[in-house]
Amino acid sequence: MTFFTIIVRGLQRRPVRTGLTLVGISIGIAAVVALVGISRGFEASWATGMKVRGTDIVVSNMGSALAPKPFSATVRDRIAKLPQVADACAIYADLTSVEDASMMVVSAREWGGFSWHNLKLISGRMPHDAMEPAVVLGQTAAEVLKKKVGDPLQLETKELTVTGIVDGGAMVENGSVILSLALFQNITGNEGRINVIDIRAAPGLTEDEMKHLCEQINTTAPEARAMVAGEHLGNSQAFRFISAMSWGTSLLAVIVGVLGVMNTMLMTVFERKQEICILLAIGWKPGRVIRMILWESALLGFLGGIVGVVLGTLAVKVLETLPAIHGMLEPDFNAGLMAVAVALAVIVGVLSGLYPAWRSSRLTPSLAMQG
Amino acid sequence: MNDTNPHAIMKQPLPDSSATTPPALVFEARGLKKDYDDGRVQALRGVNFRITQGEFVAIIGPSGCGKTTLLQMLGALDLPSAGILHYRGRSIAELPDPAGYRAREIGIIFQAFHLLPTFTAVENVQMPMFETDRPELSRTERAVELLKSVGLGHRLDHFPAKLSGGEKQRVAIARSLANGPSVLLADEPTGNLDSDNTKSILELIIRLRREQNMTLVLVTHDLNIARMASRTVQMKDGLIVADHPAT
Ligand SMILES: Nc1ncnc2c1ncn2[C@@H]1O[C@H](COP(=O)(O)OP(=O)(O)OP(=O)(O)O)[C@@H](O)[C@H]1O
Ligand SMILES: [Mg+2]
Repeated sequence: MTFFTIIVRGLQRRPVRTGLTLVGISIGIAAVVALVGISRGFEASWATGMKVRGTDIVVSNMGSALAPKPFSATVRDRIAKLPQVADACAIYADLTSVEDASMMVVSAREWGGFSWHNLKLISGRMPHDAMEPAVVLGQTAAEVLKKKVGDPLQLETKELTVTGIVDGGAMVENGSVILSLALFQNITGNEGRINVIDIRAAPGLTEDEMKHLCEQINTTAPEARAMVAGEHLGNSQAFRFISAMSWGTSLLAVIVGVLGVMNTMLMTVFERKQEICILLAIGWKPGRVIRMILWESALLGFLGGIVGVVLGTLAVKVLETLPAIHGMLEPDFNAGLMAVAVALAVIVGVLSGLYPAWRSSRLTPSLAMQG
Repeated sequence: MNDTNPHAIMKQPLPDSSATTPPALVFEARGLKKDYDDGRVQALRGVNFRITQGEFVAIIGPSGCGKTTLLQMLGALDLPSAGILHYRGRSIAELPDPAGYRAREIGIIFQAFHLLPTFTAVENVQMPMFETDRPELSRTERAVELLKSVGLGHRLDHFPAKLSGGEKQRVAIARSLANGPSVLLADEPTGNLDSDNTKSILELIIRLRREQNMTLVLVTHDLNIARMASRTVQMKDGLIVADHPAT
């Protein structure tokens, strides 16, 4: 028998209680894994989306809403004149319900702009011109909307035709309904309005020069803010809010986990008072008793962490299959996040064991002889 | 290390008359007092005695006279309130490592056995060995050996709930010997046993004590048991009222 056997035996003595505690802590860890994984994945895939479009700088007005605020289309021309701007593409992006799908990215792009170039046709064709009543669908969007080439698609009050299905090379792109900017403005009565400008900088700019260019754009176009692509999502209030929410929820879940483990370990110490006194009476040092309790709660945390990581991953996998959000999640479940989650669970375990362990160390061996 | 090899040469305590060197002094108490509840209970009110190596001392007296309290002082399970208590010339109250003293010098046997219910017989016996640097394999070997020496070679993997009272006490005795102590403290070890088991458990304790030349301090209500001792100490109201060598 090793010391570890003693630890395991301690958890085995009340299997139901140990099980319930494990469920508690693993739900907390699952929440951390799922929420943080999703929000980080969201950020990462947004950045990939920018990269495949060849966008260096995004100009938009990310307020507190999920979609950016519109501004005048003339901003695009003002910015395009700046010497270090190689190319600019005006976009109207919206997050809205399309037919049966409650949340879809609708991305209306300046006809002929570079933001069309990354779209590879899988089937069908691109629209013929800026005003043809046509849309192309990213492949996930096509799946979600259950559309194939030639099907009609209702956008606001207008019926359009799906002329093509495309692979955009990134999750955000593939989840989008893509159409010509002019057509979209016409349908929605937003003539002369845009809310995003994708910008390609002149080749070979350093990071500092890129930042400097952003500042230049900001003076030229005070209506919106320019940000290096990839950073821009992190700066959006909506995303910050989501991110803070996911960490906050995680923290809450972890605190609940701590209380659960602490309660279990305290009960275990009270229940084993006599046994701990006997161990002290036959020569165990108080430090060994403390270690026994701490290892038990650390093991509880570790097991909860493992179960939690599995649960969290499964939960997101299930979530992904829901029609309402299908194709919108690209969770970032890297090994780092898993390791951090398990480590967090172990820390939770050890922290929760501190008070019970301290209580156990205050028991005196003489109690063993009474009763 | 004291091994419980049945073929070991039996070390008899030297008789006082023929001794060239007197047997070593194990315990010495002078004016030993123990209060509880801020002095409202005086469990020991000034006790004096000397116990030498290899003695078998029976402590008798009415309920509440302080027998268990005295045993707790000897085992460093609790600290005296006043007076002097020495183990081999060192103050028990000032031991740098009281847990180590309990683990290696003392073996304790309780009336209520006090085995850990979630561990088998052989695991219970190993518990005190965690305070030594004995490796795992050797811990198991020694525990098996000890259980065989108390006649429980066939009950190694039984949990306490599956053992009879007599068997439980045998496991507890094996546990008390885990680290080869030089002193055995037993608090009414047969108090929960029937007369047959009482007899065999006492014989076992007395045999092991003789084989390993241990000092035995045994608390009992039973005068028949006290008669087996080399010395009887009678207590009353926290004091020693009589101290007889065996008749
Ligand atoms: N932890 C304690 N707190 C308060 N009083 C105690 C404590 N332990 C013992 N006492 C009191 O000290 C006195 C001596 O108790 P002790 O247990 O030593 O008696 P005993 O001789 O072993 O009795 P018994 O034969 O019934 O076991 C009793 O009056 C008892 O109530
Ligand atoms: Mg008693």
